[in-house]
Amino acid sequence: MTHGFQAIRMLPKSRPSMAGFRSFRLRRYGNERPKVTVRIAVEWANLIGRVAAHGDREAFGRLFEHFAPRVKGMMLKAGAGKDDAEEIAQETLLTVWRKAAQFDPDTAGASAWIFTIARNLRIDAVRRKARSGSIDYGAELDYLVDPAEPIDHMLVRSDEADRIAAALSRLSEEQTMAIRLSFIEERPHSEIAELLGIPLGTVKSRIRLAMNRLRALLDEIK
Amino acid sequence: MTVTHHPPLELLAGFAAGSLDAGEHLVVAVHVARCPACQRFVHAIEAVGGSSIDAATPVPMKAGAFETVMAQLDRAEPSTVSNRVPDDADEDHDLPELLRHYRIGRRRRIAPGIILRPIELPGTARSRAFLLQSAPGTRMLEHTHTGTELTCVLRGSFSHEGGQYGPGDFDFGDDELDHQPIVGAGEPCLCLVAMTGDLRMNGFFGRLISPFVRL
Repeated sequence: MTHGFQAIRMLPKSRPSMAGFRSFRLRRYGNERPKVTVRIAVEWANLIGRVAAHGDREAFGRLFEHFAPRVKGMMLKAGAGKDDAEEIAQETLLTVWRKAAQFDPDTAGASAWIFTIARNLRIDAVRRKARSGSIDYGAELDYLVDPAEPIDHMLVRSDEADRIAAALSRLSEEQTMAIRLSFIEERPHSEIAELLGIPLGTVKSRIRLAMNRLRALLDEIK
Repeated sequence: MTVTHHPPLELLAGFAAGSLDAGEHLVVAVHVARCPACQRFVHAIEAVGGSSIDAATPVPMKAGAFETVMAQLDRAEPSTVSNRVPDDADEDHDLPELLRHYRIGRRRRIAPGIILRPIELPGTARSRAFLLQSAPGTRMLEHTHTGTELTCVLRGSFSHEGGQYGPGDFDFGDDELDHQPIVGAGEPCLCLVAMTGDLRMNGFFGRLISPFVRL
């Protein structure tokens, strides 16, 4: 595999015991790349589908086992306290159970969908804490965001997930990392400089460059 | 009408990551809801967020966490509340769906031709958000911002050196910019605005009123 498919390599390397793989073709955007067929594991999507279809608790158990500790890990990395990270991780998986029917594998990957749930819960948590000093998910809230509510309903195309994956795969690994470290993990520029091995003074332009390139790649998609 | 002016990419990425201030979040969300290009960018950042979950070091959950969650699976789902006070229902029917989750205050006339309605934000917000309706032809005096000013046009139009801004368009102003916006003729311009900066020091309404002069 040539460079340009870093996003694929970022997926967890092996989930040997699980069935349910789907092959799909990365479309060509631009002119230079040959068509490459990649096999991508979609078992997480299948498990969510089983939860949606018949409240499959065994499938949910596997989702919990995989995602809850990772959501917790990500929340801790982004600066949440221990108890908050635990609470958000639990509530994220509970929302996965409740809203499984809203998941559409054509518009977003399973991890991306779970990310948006965790993100919305964190936004809510910050606002709740400001009011009461604790997250307290039982309390009624004025600004409650439906955690699984997509920001949009009509504009998403059916093959959006594939298209976005294709655009991301054309970013360099370093560019994807720059975006992830800066925005998802909210690390200070000094840390990003260290992790990427670049001078502090170039971090800002590196991030901006990565985002401009991503926007351009996405705009190429007609 | 096509949206031609978009938020800076840093704001879109911050929005996708969930790290924006509540007021900024709201204005960006209203733009994104009607801009396919920005939606796609947001979805791409969310996909990066997904890959970040995949790559995250798992941190063990508390003992009994799974059982706690399993015990809640059948719990009745809490209703998502929308408790906006339905005043001025007729005039609000074309406000973006997103704004229905917020309490919108009473209309205040802050200058000739200018009506402001504050939007109640969570206590954590650093910014203030409001709806600003300006009569056709209103001109703001040249002004700069101490903080940032995020604007999304909901109805009507205005223009300044940056171009013309119609429904859905997003305008970003900070202390580096000198703006002299003029509201388009024909119909009033309704904007959703979020402002940061130490407004108290300058007097919130004073700062708002001072930039406006009715021609």
